Amino acid sequence: MSESTKSSGCCGGCGSGIKCMQIIEDGTLKNNPIIHQVLGVCSALAVTGRVENAIVMGIALIFVAMMSNLIVSLIRNLMPRRIRMVVEVAIIATFVIIFDQLLKAFYWDMSRQLGPYVGLIITNCIVMGRAEAYATQNPPLPAMLDGIANGLGYAVILVLIACFRELLGAGTLLGITILPASHYTPNILMVLAPGAFFTAGFLIWIINAIRQPRAETEETA
Amino acid sequence: MNKSLRTLLFATVLGVVCSSLLVGVTQVTRPFREANEKAERVRNTLIALEAPVTARTPAAELLVLFDRDIRLQDQAGIPSFAYHPGGVDHPVAIAVPFGGAGVWGPIEGILALEPDMQTIRGVRFYKQEETPGLGGEIASVAFQDQFKGKRIRAADGQPGVRLVAAGAASGPNTVDAITGATMTSGRVEEMLTTLARRLHNGKEDGQ
Repeated sequence: MSESTKSSGCCGGCGSGIKCMQIIEDGTLKNNPIIHQVLGVCSALAVTGRVENAIVMGIALIFVAMMSNLIVSLIRNLMPRRIRMVVEVAIIATFVIIFDQLLKAFYWDMSRQLGPYVGLIITNCIVMGRAEAYATQNPPLPAMLDGIANGLGYAVILVLIACFRELLGAGTLLGITILPASHYTPNILMVLAPGAFFTAGFLIWIINAIRQPRAETEETA
Repeated sequence: MNKSLRTLLFATVLGVVCSSLLVGVTQVTRPFREANEKAERVRNTLIALEAPVTARTPAAELLVLFDRDIRLQDQAGIPSFAYHPGGVDHPVAIAVPFGGAGVWGPIEGILALEPDMQTIRGVRFYKQEETPGLGGEIASVAFQDQFKGKRIRAADGQPGVRLVAAGAASGPNTVDAITGATMTSGRVEEMLTTLARRLHNGKEDGQ
């Protein structure tokens, strides 16, 4: 959470007192939704067979998290407490459907490849989690930034996983052949579901192993 | 009471705002979406008919081919597509569209038959919202290709197509159902059988 007592984080450039860098660092690194909170894993495993799919899915999540955080934050003082979850879901669903419709209209092939996973962003814990935990308690601009940061954290990991899987599974990156079939036999396992579990598991392990010492000192401090 | 009223008012306003936003976006994108869906239908019809088309053929090329080689034809009251490659007189194959309720949403597809109207040339399910990885497998090439060469009539002459457990006794009109997707398999079987009956009866009425 960003409510730490650290006074650093405000870059001071804009004079708004918003801890921009801290919010971005929290969302993408320190509190990365996939690596640290293991949220949104369903779609992270499902759409990472190809880098292009991962990029579009990442953009979708950034858009939805940003807009829903902004709107939830704008109406946070008007929102009756009792129905706030329903309100959040309604707002999130609206933006997800808008994105899905745009994809169906202007990027048909991608829409078919992502299939139901765009629609399933509605139930992605990252979006709901940020709306509930951050946007309901913070002003619009930081909330929007928090949405972008968490979406970005998700997108970066997705693209990372997808790079491994597409390269090892098909020998290509973004559809461009990197490892020609004459020198490399694609490992089909990598594009199938188990490949996603292996890659995501190893990635989480490696990143946490690297970050472990720092995380411990922070907790004891 | 006042509090409840406020909650109700808030929910109403939110609902109205969200739904008008969605209606707006849906309206703006409709022509584009419909064009894409039409291209998808045309593509799958041509693939089922075994016309020289792949999943990557550009939409413009599809429409040229469709206009040149496909003639619309009435088949037991269903507007169907007869394939006349290069303008030959007798159709090489006939594609009949079908549809019905799936588990999560409507399923639409196309069934291409050889000129005997009995033997399946190809099946494509081009619109479906079944569970990915389970019922969604009806759109996989492996599942769809099973139908090739099968008949829409059982050995005893009864019209219908049956989806049976993998490895069960196979007949001229049976294909393997999808394990774990009993409901989707059942509905697909039902809509194909309805179509087979209709084609069968239509033929008898006509003769």
